[in-house]
Amino acid sequence: MMSKHSLINPESLRFLTAVSSSEFSRPTLAMGSLIASVFDASLGVVYVGEKANEFHGGAVNLTRQNLETWDIIHPGLDVLKWALQELKKLNPENTDLAKIQFNTDHVFEEDGRIKIIMPDKEDGRIELILREGELVDQLRKEIQLESYDLAIIGGSQNKQHLAHSIIQYLPSSVFVLQKFAPRKKYKLLLLVDDSQATAKSVEWGALIAQKLGWPVKTLTVSKTKLFGPGYQGAADMAKAYFEARNIDVEQHFITGDPVSTFVDFAGDDHIVIMGASTLNPVKQLLFGSKPIKTLARTDVPILIVR
Amino acid sequence: MPAYDALIIISMALILIITEPLPLPAIAMFMLFMQVILGIDTANNVASSFMNDAVFFIMGSLMLAVAIVSQGLDKRLALGIIKITGHKTWRIIAGFTAISAILSSFIGEHTVAAMMMPVGLTLVRYAHKDPRKVKGLTAALLFSIAYGATIGSIGTPSGGGRNVIMMNYWAEFGAGTVSYLEWMKYIYPMVLIQIPFTVLILLRTFKPEQSNLDSAVRKLVVDVARAGKIKAREWVAISLFVLVFFGWVFLSEDYGLGIIALVGVFLYLAFGLVEWNELNRKTNWGVILLFGAAISIGIQMNKTGAAQWVANVIINNLSQVISSPEVLQGSVSVLLTGVMSNILSSSATVAVVGPIVLDLGGDPILIGFATAISSAFGYFTAVAAPACTIIYSSGLVKSKDFLRAGWKMGVLSVLSLLGLALFWWPVL
Repeated sequence: MMSKHSLINPESLRFLTAVSSSEFSRPTLAMGSLIASVFDASLGVVYVGEKANEFHGGAVNLTRQNLETWDIIHPGLDVLKWALQELKKLNPENTDLAKIQFNTDHVFEEDGRIKIIMPDKEDGRIELILREGELVDQLRKEIQLESYDLAIIGGSQNKQHLAHSIIQYLPSSVFVLQKFAPRKKYKLLLLVDDSQATAKSVEWGALIAQKLGWPVKTLTVSKTKLFGPGYQGAADMAKAYFEARNIDVEQHFITGDPVSTFVDFAGDDHIVIMGASTLNPVKQLLFGSKPIKTLARTDVPILIVR
Repeated sequence: MPAYDALIIISMALILIITEPLPLPAIAMFMLFMQVILGIDTANNVASSFMNDAVFFIMGSLMLAVAIVSQGLDKRLALGIIKITGHKTWRIIAGFTAISAILSSFIGEHTVAAMMMPVGLTLVRYAHKDPRKVKGLTAALLFSIAYGATIGSIGTPSGGGRNVIMMNYWAEFGAGTVSYLEWMKYIYPMVLIQIPFTVLILLRTFKPEQSNLDSAVRKLVVDVARAGKIKAREWVAISLFVLVFFGWVFLSEDYGLGIIALVGVFLYLAFGLVEWNELNRKTNWGVILLFGAAISIGIQMNKTGAAQWVANVIINNLSQVISSPEVLQGSVSVLLTGVMSNILSSSATVAVVGPIVLDLGGDPILIGFATAISSAFGYFTAVAAPACTIIYSSGLVKSKDFLRAGWKMGVLSVLSLLGLALFWWPVL
């Protein structure tokens, strides 16, 4: 099951964090900043605002240009300005970051989005991006444009819809920070089965556990009492992978309905890591998939690995 | 058959506009070439129905908006409003509503909203560092701009493209003509009646946290005073608009509202008050294409009998429920237009619904007035009216705010229209 060659290159990871407001996005940004920092990865921060309908788009643009003459900037730029300040607070040791000033004159439109130009030292390490349109569609475009490995987004009240959209349409791995508390002590719960995505999930789990020192449990769930060679083999390979990296791991085998078992086991103190479904999009839409159902039913942060 | 073809085109266009899989200009092109491909009319006839005075007006008014907004007159406007209203919150809300309503009657709601928004947002910013702490005040100020501009936009033909589209349909379908002043005589009382009630609704719905904006107003005045005395260039800009306004009032019957709007744009360019590049960059050409195409298919709806067929179906089905023809015609035009305006946009609604309601029977001028007025009842969503979209784009008001105040505005407007139709129009 496990590939001989690593599926993830930890030296060149790119993360994308979606923020919506200073009121609700603090935990999401904190997590994005934390893992970008420990992985020494580049971090894109994107604000996706609502797009005015085409009938009135011209009037809205005219108003925005007029507002700029009164030093009133786009609400999305305000959020990005806050995000930059927050990143400085979260990374006090980063002196290059501390020197950067948010300047609304340093924005340019490119590829259907607005990007804040950062000084050379930070070029490519932190990017602030403003997009307008439907959230998942815009995140998909951003991920494709910049080849992000992982998108980090906050939870949503409309969980069912969000679960479907992000799992079906986002081309990268996705970390959904449902009810995430930055100071809480989490344990990683890695869901292991015989699917293709398990290998990459195990690599992500090991990387995160190594970098953040979080304890790891693996959970394999079978609908019958018999755990076939595929399941058993996957669990053993996962254990071996962790042990080879000196990471302690607890193995669990439970018989039951997979999604209900994942949800019950995760409780409220685990971060769940699971592979994305390999079902085709039509089947996922009609019947759902384990990741979609798990994301819709659980309240803990969940990393869907693609 | 051409009637069915026209209905198919308009139905498909509506689905495309609502679901937005294609940009608006592409939908406009679809409406145009399908008329020729399906054999509804020849290419030359479709082209001539595409460009008319209503489209000239929409094009001219969008460019005039850019020219007027770029003059920086909003700072003068801010000082003028504050001088009249003083520092009390309720008076400022009343001032914003009244000024937005009166100005939008003449220069269009999107121009007014674009000019008033900085004034409103600056007051909010100075009232409290964190707008979330003064949500009521923020909503009341921003909605006074949006709803003020919306209720005012019905007051004269130049208040909105939809009014001119209706005038164009009257002329095209041989229903008669209405002059600028006649329009005002019929409709303006409704604008004036709605202003105080709108203020009341906004104050009661959003309950501003501060009853006095002393400090915010003082800071705003200091900000605005930096602009110095009014300059010659600004006087020229104002004078040119006054000239355009008088042109609309006294010459539009002979020359058309659109042509006069284009003369205005020409003068702004000739006097060097605006650069062509700026006009070109900031004008939404796609919308102009769409309205041209929608009016073109609207004319075909009338010519092919499709509008009459739809009107008959509505009348036959509803006449069992509502026996009075006048009530039936009035309710259908108001309800159909009001509901569609909240889904589409007000001008697009009039372009699509206009030919149908004018075939419902009764006095086409009065039915046309009712339709043009009710197309401004887009209070419930952020998409219906440009002024509503503009305040929504600030990120400081939510969709539910539109519903909270919108239903009350809807009731107010329907009652005002009813009062106008029952008591004012019969005496004219």
